Amino acid sequence: MMDPLPFDHRRDGVLGRALREALDPGDAQAFVARVVALAGQVRVASWDAVLARWARAGVAAALVVALAAGYLVGRGTAASPTAARPTVSDVLIAPPAHPAEVEVVLASVIGSN
Amino acid sequence: MADPQPPWEPARIAQQDEADLVARAVAGERAAFGMLVERYAGVARRVARAVLGNPEDADDAAQDAMLSALVKLEQYDARRPFGPWLLRIVANAATDRRRRRSVRRVEPLDVGLTAGGARPDATAERRALNERLRQALAELPERRRMAVVLFDVEGYSHGEIALILGIPEGTVRSEVFHARRRLRVLLADWKEEG
Repeated sequence: MMDPLPFDHRRDGVLGRALREALDPGDAQAFVARVVALAGQVRVASWDAVLARWARAGVAAALVVALAAGYLVGRGTAASPTAARPTVSDVLIAPPAHPAEVEVVLASVIGSN
Repeated sequence: MADPQPPWEPARIAQQDEADLVARAVAGERAAFGMLVERYAGVARRVARAVLGNPEDADDAAQDAMLSALVKLEQYDARRPFGPWLLRIVANAATDRRRRRSVRRVEPLDVGLTAGGARPDATAERRALNERLRQALAELPERRRMAVVLFDVEGYSHGEIALILGIPEGTVRSEVFHARRRLRVLLADWKEEG
């Protein structure tokens, strides 16, 4: 080992080689094989996780939209029950281009009898 | 399999080559990720061992770090060197593991190996020296240990080590200096015996 100088920018060759050997874990092939094998699962797991997150968010968003739509439709229907069906006077005044509303006229005539 | 990094060669590989490998690994090409693992397995395991001491723990930490790097690979900036980015993850993984695990006492040195006992052959002597070095290294503060290993063993520059450890470059120089000085003291009797 070289005598260290303060803030020496050079590498200590003897110390470096000795430490390298002391820390050498050996069996690099087994380690690499293990990590690469696990990597496949990690990739799959992470993609699954991403898709699962998207699916959860998608279901939540769909629920919110469905609830909002249901509320709006329900409120619209409840607020104007008469607006949905024309009155007798509307039908009588209406132009003859609406043949479907003849039944309303007939119903009122029959009803008055 | 031989360590792909020859001694005294820093773990620096052509940046373009690495950027290409990273891009392929992000695209899901397992072989590209395998090449990155193969290139950096040695340094990652040594750095983790410098922190943790125990080789099994070190391998687990290095493995976790590699897999964590794979998940984070899309965040890697290809304009910067890959090695320091990866080794920062390794250093953090090793440090976290060290904090989490229960304190494990280092096995006491074999008296015969340290007190000038009989050394039957060169292999035993080498083993004893390695053990002695690991013991000496373990006495250093964690950051100092990593600094001296990254500098003297792995050949990284002070600037790169500063990136890896997240400390100023001047602090890296100081850590390397103090680590060497302490190791000299701790190994002085071995030197005399040898």
